[in-house]
Amino acid sequence: MIQLTLPSGIQVEPSEDGRILTLSVGPQHPGSGHFRLIVQVDGDIIVDADPDPGYVHRGEEKMCEYRNWIQNIPHLERPMIADSCGILYPFVLACEEIGSIKVPERAKYIRIIMAEINAMIFELYWLAIYGIFLGHSTMFMWPMGDRELLIDLAEMATGARVTHAYFVPGGVRNDLPDTFRDKAIRQLDYFKHRLDQYKDIFYTNPLFLDRTERVGVLTAQDAINLGVTGPVLRASGVEHDIRKIEPYDVYDELDFKVITMKTGDSYARAYVPYLEMYERINIIKQCLEKMPSGPVRTKLGPNPKGPVGEAFKRVEAGRGELAYYVVSDGTPKPYRIKLSVPSFRMIAAMPHLLKGAKLADMPAIYWSLNYWPVEADR
Amino acid sequence: MTTVTQFSFTDFVKSLLWLAFWILMIVTLIILPIIFIVLFYVPAPEIEGIEITPYLLLSMMVNPDIGVPLLKATMETTFFKVAVFPGFTFAALFATIIIFFERKFLAKMQLRVGPYHAGREVLWWARNFGGFFQMLADLLKLISKEIIIPSGADKPIFWAAPVVLTVVASGLVALIPVAPGWVVADIDVGLLAVFALLGFFPLTALLASWASNSKYPFIGGLRALHQMIAYEIPLILSVLGVVILSGSLNLSTMVEAQQNYWFILLLPIGAFVFFITALAELERVPFDLPEAESEIVAGWLTEYSGMAYGLIQLASYMKLYALAALFVTLFMGGWMGPEILRFGPPWEPDLMIRGHMVLTVEEGNAFFWFIVKTFGIAVLMLLPRGINPRIKIDILLRTGWAKLIAVAFINVFIALGLLYAGVIHPVGVVGT
Amino acid sequence: MSSEGKQPEQSSQSKEAVAKVEIPPVEKGIVDKITTKFGGKAVLAYAKPRRIRFNIKPEDAIEFARFLNDEVGFDQPISVAGTDYPKDNVIEVIYHIGCCTVPEYRSMVFAFALKLPRDNPKTPTLIPVYRGVEYHERETFEMLGVIFEDHPKLQRLLLPEDWADIPPLRKDFNIKGR
Repeated sequence: MIQLTLPSGIQVEPSEDGRILTLSVGPQHPGSGHFRLIVQVDGDIIVDADPDPGYVHRGEEKMCEYRNWIQNIPHLERPMIADSCGILYPFVLACEEIGSIKVPERAKYIRIIMAEINAMIFELYWLAIYGIFLGHSTMFMWPMGDRELLIDLAEMATGARVTHAYFVPGGVRNDLPDTFRDKAIRQLDYFKHRLDQYKDIFYTNPLFLDRTERVGVLTAQDAINLGVTGPVLRASGVEHDIRKIEPYDVYDELDFKVITMKTGDSYARAYVPYLEMYERINIIKQCLEKMPSGPVRTKLGPNPKGPVGEAFKRVEAGRGELAYYVVSDGTPKPYRIKLSVPSFRMIAAMPHLLKGAKLADMPAIYWSLNYWPVEADR
Repeated sequence: MTTVTQFSFTDFVKSLLWLAFWILMIVTLIILPIIFIVLFYVPAPEIEGIEITPYLLLSMMVNPDIGVPLLKATMETTFFKVAVFPGFTFAALFATIIIFFERKFLAKMQLRVGPYHAGREVLWWARNFGGFFQMLADLLKLISKEIIIPSGADKPIFWAAPVVLTVVASGLVALIPVAPGWVVADIDVGLLAVFALLGFFPLTALLASWASNSKYPFIGGLRALHQMIAYEIPLILSVLGVVILSGSLNLSTMVEAQQNYWFILLLPIGAFVFFITALAELERVPFDLPEAESEIVAGWLTEYSGMAYGLIQLASYMKLYALAALFVTLFMGGWMGPEILRFGPPWEPDLMIRGHMVLTVEEGNAFFWFIVKTFGIAVLMLLPRGINPRIKIDILLRTGWAKLIAVAFINVFIALGLLYAGVIHPVGVVGT
Repeated sequence: MSSEGKQPEQSSQSKEAVAKVEIPPVEKGIVDKITTKFGGKAVLAYAKPRRIRFNIKPEDAIEFARFLNDEVGFDQPISVAGTDYPKDNVIEVIYHIGCCTVPEYRSMVFAFALKLPRDNPKTPTLIPVYRGVEYHERETFEMLGVIFEDHPKLQRLLLPEDWADIPPLRKDFNIKGR
């Protein structure tokens, strides 16, 4: 075995034949978030990748069993704080199914508007971090700057920039202000104008194409079997969008397209969310026009509960299919809540895609999978 | 419980007198003699045949008939050229302005403002330049910070690396001709000296990273080595065309050979290859692998803090100035340009102070055009940072070793073709 | 969405309840397919619009999953959840599977549950059929103590390395202070 004398600080463990090095990417790495990937490299080629999540595990599911439905809302939105409406949506839908609660029409439209705004907020954040991974500082600044347009809208509606806690079983917490509609249309028009510029500077940039085209190709069959979801699945050619397949609230009355691409590489996974943003703007505008007036919340009693039973509800959040499995035992506190988050399902795709890839491609592949470490750990 | 000493007026007066006594002693016995010796007995360089002492110098400064020729003579001394213009101070000032401009320029591209507050009250009338004193603030901050050395670092090399970097960058600056006659080192093999100095940079980067004794600088140093070595060969090849067309390796001669047509019009491919490889030598985006922030924290200069970091940044931007100036010298006609500056009426256009000539109009125009062109090219070198992501190492090496060398060779053949077709003669004049 | 009919109860004595409820035709087709192949080994818990649930035994798990994946067409694993029922002395592991390819089934979620004895919960892993359940099963292992036989790497995933307590999602584990 070759004895390697390297400067101190490198964590390498040569294997018996001396070729394979084990590198630990994260969790203190500037490019990995609160997540560790144990990568085994042979020269420049990755031989094996072992994801190691769990650095931000807070026991969300256990905490849910000690709180009733309303008390669960603020802490359940914390795993995915940038898309807080998306992670609460299936929970309130499941509670409404268990308790047979009827939601007013206006609340359904408002919920869709806020869910789409939050999905765009997350996608812009994700695009910004993609820029950091690739070393493109403008790709970090522009999405972060344009995100403020949408955060302004969210703040107008809910009072908080990021941690909304807006959805409750029975509707939403409060109504939108009167000036919301005009401001939303203005901000969205400007945002669409900005989105048109993204294509020129980011998506047709030859260096960006060099780094992401044909990198980390995921076939449709593998994608389905591995359980990945969301834009990653749609970038591999599978047309699977929960908003069209199993419309919840009033999605069946809205008119929008599902974006898919055939190639399944990192470029497609970066391009699909961008095209989806146009559709989201479309959805929000339709909702703003069709929204009826009326109450926005069905008032429940102090401790809402439902009969013994279970509910499984799923929703298309910014990253993919978020599902809740709620078991109720007749008391106000749920017996078991299981969050099935899209980030956790992406972990299975990581070793599959990274094996055989170059080490320099690892940031492009890893971040294109829409992985959010806090959400995966719950 | 604290004890308070009793205040006694006599003791106070005694201490004052004691202080006065010692001040008087030191001033008369030590300081006054030093002043006298320096003023009257230290020989300053001989100017115009008169042996000058500093006293004479100081008294001459207020007499313009003697002061101005003195000034002109000082401007022609080697010391002035090395230290002030076009040497170190000029390059450092240029580098500082380029840093400030880069920060504002990139900020505007990225929907930000850049440095905004420092100096805002002073320059209230120039809203776009708010924050100009940020560079001064940064300099003061870097000077006052502690230089932290990692525990296992190789101390002599760790300390030497930033200094060597600055020295070599200054060496590059010394070879650039700013105006006819205004060059610090006018050697006949100027271009070869440039490449010899450029060959130092991969070594210093590697030494700095190895001496830091830590993981991220190690990776960054290796990447810097790979990158710079891969791009040195296309750099050298791309200027071969210029050498062929101008017939000498002396940089001033190359500028004078572009009297009628700039070489960028005749050899555009060479200029293009030179520009790209200069970006790679400077480690600027998209070639900033050695300092990739998101992957290896700060690359080979991770462990440097305080003024050592300041020196490395200064060297980096002086290199930017030197390579931009080299581009202008080789391809864009150096200091050549139409005479548009005049310091006085048309029959007496030179810069005169009290009847004594300080700067000829040709020199003034040469400075002006050189600075304008170099600044323009430097801004062009700053631009890719706002547009491009980082390149991958395999694409980098493939481009440097294969594609750019091939393109540079094509450029050489174009130059040879132009020469042998009789379009250009070795002195660079078309047709005659 | 409001439920129709009575909510079925947790234990599997719900055959009479199920027989009283109308099963929609598409779901009925799936249910019939499965009951013809497996007979009494798969017990229908409920078949609501778009949600079907069967209770099966651990020994039949792999065969059931293979049939579901290849013949019926449910091919996308959504989640694996484990629930602790100390009163019935079982740990229930429930798999939710979605469908991406068959157009009529795409809006449905198929669930099948295995009831394992609480003091020795063991079940074969379904990785040979659905590769995506690998990390879900690891999480169920560490949160509830369920052992998945033939799992390639049955180790801690989310909990800290120095966790020395009982699996946290069990009902006898209480968060400190509550």
